[in-house]
Formats: sequence, structure tokens, C-alpha cells
Amino acid sequence: MEAVISPIILYAMIVLGALGVLLSLPRARANFALPGFLIGATAGGVVLLALASKAVAEGGGGLPNLYFYLFGFVALASGLRMITHPKPVYSALYFIMTILATCGLFLILSAVFMAAALVIIYAGAILITYLFVIMLATQSPTEEMVEEQPVFDRVAREPVLATISGFLLLAMLSTMLAKGVPMLVTPSATNADEILAQFPHDIEKALRHRTTMGDEGGILPTETLARSVNEDGTPGEFVIDVANRTVLVQVDAEGGATRTVAWPEDLELGHVQAVGYELIKGHPGAIEIAGVILLMAMVGSVVLARKHMQIDEDAKRAQAQSLASREGASS
Amino acid sequence: MMTTLAQSGFPEAMTTLTLYHYLFISAVMFTLGLIGFITRRNLIVMFLCTEMMFQASGIALVAFSRFYLEYTGQVFVIFVLTIAAAEAALALALVVLLFKRNETLDGSVWSLLKG
Repeated sequence: MEAVISPIILYAMIVLGALGVLLSLPRARANFALPGFLIGATAGGVVLLALASKAVAEGGGGLPNLYFYLFGFVALASGLRMITHPKPVYSALYFIMTILATCGLFLILSAVFMAAALVIIYAGAILITYLFVIMLATQSPTEEMVEEQPVFDRVAREPVLATISGFLLLAMLSTMLAKGVPMLVTPSATNADEILAQFPHDIEKALRHRTTMGDEGGILPTETLARSVNEDGTPGEFVIDVANRTVLVQVDAEGGATRTVAWPEDLELGHVQAVGYELIKGHPGAIEIAGVILLMAMVGSVVLARKHMQIDEDAKRAQAQSLASREGASS
Repeated sequence: MMTTLAQSGFPEAMTTLTLYHYLFISAVMFTLGLIGFITRRNLIVMFLCTEMMFQASGIALVAFSRFYLEYTGQVFVIFVLTIAAAEAALALALVVLLFKRNETLDGSVWSLLKG
């Protein structure tokens, strides 16, 4: 139950950060964006430095994971700039910056696929759509409002109350840093070898590759991975020993001769492979639901975007009559 | 049986960082998104702020995934991305529709939706 950061520093910096956010929110007359941004950045920086100094004291020697503090600071600073910038286009661009910094955090957490997906989907697809809509839905500037944003962009709504309630939430959320939380017990971890054993063809490919490269311990092109035999005589599972990292290899095609081969040392579970396995095996129903949601969103946006044709009743009646007379003439 | 980091498929990364570092970043980002959603009056920026709250939850999920050496948290982030994409498509279609009707992006104009 050890505190990660001193509570006095934490709460003082939360109050300071609230002040900074409050000042940097757009307001009607005076513009305090720059000093507010500086105060907010100072507060965030002090908290991050306090966290870092704790990590240095425990880890001993050197500033560990400099990139975490760098990316974290960039993410939060551009997030603050995003919610305070009066121009929506700049807000969207700062949000892209936040996303890229978040990708850095994901890379530190060794979530490689997530970082790539975030760049492609968020920065690539969603934010471009936002930029399109911002440019579609902006009033063309008139004579009297050249170089000036509309009033709803320039004046924040209820800045004091919103900042107080938001930072009260933050103070409650970050109490864990000051109070310390008992270390959670890590449950049985996902074993990479167990997941890898579900991909026998990958193991086979790696073993064959060894033979091609002329290394020891591979399998020949004539050999295949051995399967166990079911009770009814059909071939069953591949015989893979996860604990010793070995597989059974069938030397003769029809005969019973087998030998045990160790997996290549460098055979590792890829991140995409692991996430994909967890996605397909663990959450097949959720994938279906996500597909339905995407379909609903597609149908919904088509319905929203279609043109409403205003056909008046007379035209409709005339058209119906002409259709009916044509029908009568042809029959 | 203790599983080492290399066996679990997660390369060494979180050596001197604790889970709480990431949770703090996530909490601050969520707070900023919340404040932005309340204070900004531009409809598009309000939706951008909800996207930032999605991001914050994503950071927390991936950090927990790393902490528990489980991939489920990252799978959840995939679903969060899916929902965010669907939400962006629908919300932006609505925003364009509302803008066509009233020629303004001010959210408070629509605070009295009647008939």
C-alpha cells in the first residue's frame, strides 16, 4: 500500500491544472489562452516528473522509459489545446496529435497491432471524415465577420462549473496514486506457447524453413507432423508437447515410424496472431454484434443522407392516371 | 506456475512503470474530454471530445491488458474502435442534416427540440 505520488503534490497540481484549463477555455472578452495553457502544462509536467522521480528512486539509475513521459505529455497537452482551440479544424488536427501520442503509449505497452489500427482507423478514417464535415458545415464568411469565429465557438458554456466537476472527477480517479492500491494479483497469464500450439502449420512451416536454410533440427519435405488417431480410426489432433516445446514428426507416410523434433528457438508468437486468436476464439458473438452495428450505422447514414422528394398530390394523381390509361391501352 | 514475460508473449516493456502511470494519463484525458464536451458549443467539437473519451478508455484497457498479460483488453479496444467508427458515421450525418436545416453548428440552438 505504498503511495505512488505524494498526495499534497497530486491535489495541488490537480487544482493548478483546473485553473489552467479554466483560463485557457475560450471566453468572451479577454483571452487568457496562453497563460492558461502554460499553467496547465506546468501542472501536468510536475505530476509526470513526480511520477518519474518515484520510478527513478525504485528502478535506480537513469530515467526509465523516457518515451512514456514524452508521449504522455504530448497527448495531454494537445488534448488540452484541442478542447480550448476556438477553430474546429485546429481542434481536429490537435486530436490527431493526441492519437499519435496515444499510439506511442500503446507501443510502449507492446500493443503493436492496436497502435497500427489506431493510426489507420482514427487518424486515417474517422478524423478525415470529421475534417470533411467541418469544412462542409461552416458558414461562408460574410463582410462583417472576416477573420472571426462565430460566437458559439468563441465563448465557452459554463466554464467554471464544468472545470470544477471535471477535476473533482479527476481527483477521485487519481486518489489511487496518492493512497496506493494493494498490488492486484496477476491471474494465470496467457501462455504464448499454448496459443502457438494452436497453429501447428506455423510450427511446420518454421521447421521446413530450417531445412531449407540448411540448419540442423528441421524436417524434410517428405516428413509431416504426426497426428494422433481417434477411436474410429480417423486422424485426430497434432501431437504437440507444449511443456517441452516439441512436436512428433511422421517420418514415413504410411508407416508408424516417428521422431520427436524440438521447435525452433526463435519461433515466437506474433502480436497480431495472438490478438486475432483471442478475438476469434474468445468473442465470436461480439464480432457478429459489431457487424450488425456497422450495418445499422451504414443503413442509418444512408437513410439520413437521402433526399426527400416533395411530390405534390396533383402530380402524383396525374401520373397514376396516365399509367392506368397506358395499361388499359395495351391490354 | 509463474509465467515469465517472454513465455507470455509480451516483450519486456513495463519495467519501472506501474499500471497507475497509464491509468493517470487515461483519467486526465477522460477529464479533458468531459470538460470539452460540456463547455464547447460547436456540435462537431463536442463529438470530437467524445472520441477523446473513447481514447482514454482505450489507454486504460490496453494498460490493463498488459498488466494482466491477457489479450482480452486489446480485443475490447478493437470493439471500441468499431463503435467509434459507427458513431462517427451516424453523428456526422446528423450534424450535416442539422446544419442544413438551421445554418448553424451551435449545439444550444437544438436544446429545445419540439415536434
